[in-house]
Amino acid sequence: MRGADPIRGVERQEARLAWGMVLPAIGTILLVALFPLAWTAWESVHLHDLRMPWLGRPFIGAANYVEALGDPRFWGALGHTAFFAVTSVGLELILGLGLALAMNRAFRGRGLVRAAILVPWAIPTVVAGLLWRFMFAGEGGIVNQTLLDLGLLREPLVWFIEAETAWVPVILADVWKTTPFVALLLLAGLQNIDASLYEAARIDGASAWGQFRHVTLPLLKPAILVALIFRTLDAFRVFDLIYALTGGGPGTSTEPIALYTFNALLQNLRFGYGSALSVIVFAITFSLALIYIRLLGGELTGGKR
Amino acid sequence: MSVLGAEAEVLRRQLRRFMEEYPDIRVVQRETPDAADQRHQLYVQWLNAGAGDPDILQLDVVWTPEFAAAGWILPLDRFAPDTGAFFPTTISANRWGDSLFALPWFVDVGMLYWRTDLMASPPTTFEALVRSAHSAKQRQGLRHGLVWQGARYEGLVTTFLEYLGGHGGRIMEEGRVVVASAAGRQALREMRSEIHESGIVPTAALTWHEEETRFAFQNGESAFMRNWPYAYGLMQDSSQSRVAGRFAVAPMPATRDGTPTAALGGAQLAINRNTEHPEAAWRVIDYLTRPEQMLERARVVGQFPTRAAVYDDPQLAAALSIPPAQARRVIEHAVARPVTPIYTQLSDILQVHLHRALTRQREPAAALAEAQAEMQRLLNRVGLGVEGRSARR
Repeated sequence: MRGADPIRGVERQEARLAWGMVLPAIGTILLVALFPLAWTAWESVHLHDLRMPWLGRPFIGAANYVEALGDPRFWGALGHTAFFAVTSVGLELILGLGLALAMNRAFRGRGLVRAAILVPWAIPTVVAGLLWRFMFAGEGGIVNQTLLDLGLLREPLVWFIEAETAWVPVILADVWKTTPFVALLLLAGLQNIDASLYEAARIDGASAWGQFRHVTLPLLKPAILVALIFRTLDAFRVFDLIYALTGGGPGTSTEPIALYTFNALLQNLRFGYGSALSVIVFAITFSLALIYIRLLGGELTGGKR
Repeated sequence: MSVLGAEAEVLRRQLRRFMEEYPDIRVVQRETPDAADQRHQLYVQWLNAGAGDPDILQLDVVWTPEFAAAGWILPLDRFAPDTGAFFPTTISANRWGDSLFALPWFVDVGMLYWRTDLMASPPTTFEALVRSAHSAKQRQGLRHGLVWQGARYEGLVTTFLEYLGGHGGRIMEEGRVVVASAAGRQALREMRSEIHESGIVPTAALTWHEEETRFAFQNGESAFMRNWPYAYGLMQDSSQSRVAGRFAVAPMPATRDGTPTAALGGAQLAINRNTEHPEAAWRVIDYLTRPEQMLERARVVGQFPTRAAVYDDPQLAAALSIPPAQARRVIEHAVARPVTPIYTQLSDILQVHLHRALTRQREPAAALAEAQAEMQRLLNRVGLGVEGRSARR
């Protein structure tokens, strides 16, 4: 009992010091993350239309949320976002894994390839969106021309006036732009795998597929999950690419939730309703992040399951 | 005072003369974004914050009721403007409640551009329009018969408004949305069949804004085009236009139940409610909307004057590229878009449903019914519907 006291005193002192040291960080987080979030939540339970100041700014409870849940355009936008996230992230993961495996082999000019592959990722998204728009736009666009020359099309297609065809450039552009990012993340994961494991597998007579299936994939799982988290959350917040490419059209058939929120907030200046939409988007992405972290378990933080 | 970049030079000259006439008033020009949406956002942010500067605002015609209802701009009645001298539609579009809130500066109208080398006179009915567009495609081998703005944006609503008026319909009547009428359905079906049945309008037009249609027309690819007056002067320039000297303008066609209709656009001048110099601001507006200044604007930037009498002035014929008689005929058929503070939101709803119908995601009747219900719900919610209207004003 007597011997424990000074130790506890030191511990307490250390704890105090530790708190003192993390306090600025906590303060910053509160200021830059929680404050805007709380403000948005507060706005979302008020009626606040900048264009209609005569309505005042009364508290209206959950009315904005009720309106969102009864709004077909909201559900449509949510559906489009989910569709976009699943398709683009799925493709990026498959292609990214392929690229990572290829880049992981030793070959001449490997460094150059690794740098070159990042070019699409380095292009600003709006610029990339416009680029793809020009490629698909018009009857003489490069895509129409190529498909006609190859005999795959009989007559030029107006890609942006049918929902099904308007998604093609959207998904392609996203896959083109972010596959390199996924590939590099996975490549880093691959390089962490001990080469002796493959050696052992070969000695045990495992085929290439067997090695991939039983060595590469399980050990790459943390890297894959990290890529998935980043990409899914990004995809759920997709805005600039679609804004530049289709503007959400035709009608609203490629409109993602972020574009609809932007429309409500900045086009129609409905701060209350727009904030409610933002809170919903936040809730969704946040729960996705939680699910992923739970799935990852200790792997991300390096602890045990 | 804030103004668009392209016309800044004329304005600078006019303001310099103004300051010579009124040495005690100093006017400074301020540049604002060119895109209407962005300018609108900027204005709303300024005015919401209660800024007294700029004192004078250049408003798009559909913003006046919004700014007036929000209490952001001053009623002009106490300055006793000579409203009788302006085209009546341009004045009524700037009224809210019982007051005038802005003075029309120049007017924009939607018109039918037609090729004088392909036909003797412009069509006055939709059947005739489709017929001659069709024959121009068949016989002269043109790629398109007619081009209009069909992308999902404000331009689509103005195109539709002209088809609607041509069929005898309106978007709103006394706080009630009536767009899903028989006339509305006919108008939308007409537009849709021009794309998907007779094929005189290219499907690509569903992604086109003003400029794409102008490029198609000036390259000689289309027999007709719906567009604003700005295109006229540009297309008379033979260094970039293949149709210079071979086209003219006319009012849009109509059926027997409707009248030829031109969507009304253009700029207005209004006074910021928080200005410290309302009298001086009025002097500037009064000066800029005088006939001489309008003539100069017409000459330099080709914008249509808002005063009817200016059209009788022989100087206008020399100033405008479009013969004033043709222009006046179209302006007198001008119809304002619904005069309501929430026009932009209503338009946003309408754009979506029109585009769905035109891209064949929905039948025209269903699309219009949905648009009407949504628009009416919004009006009622903010107290501008039929029942809430009297309560507010």
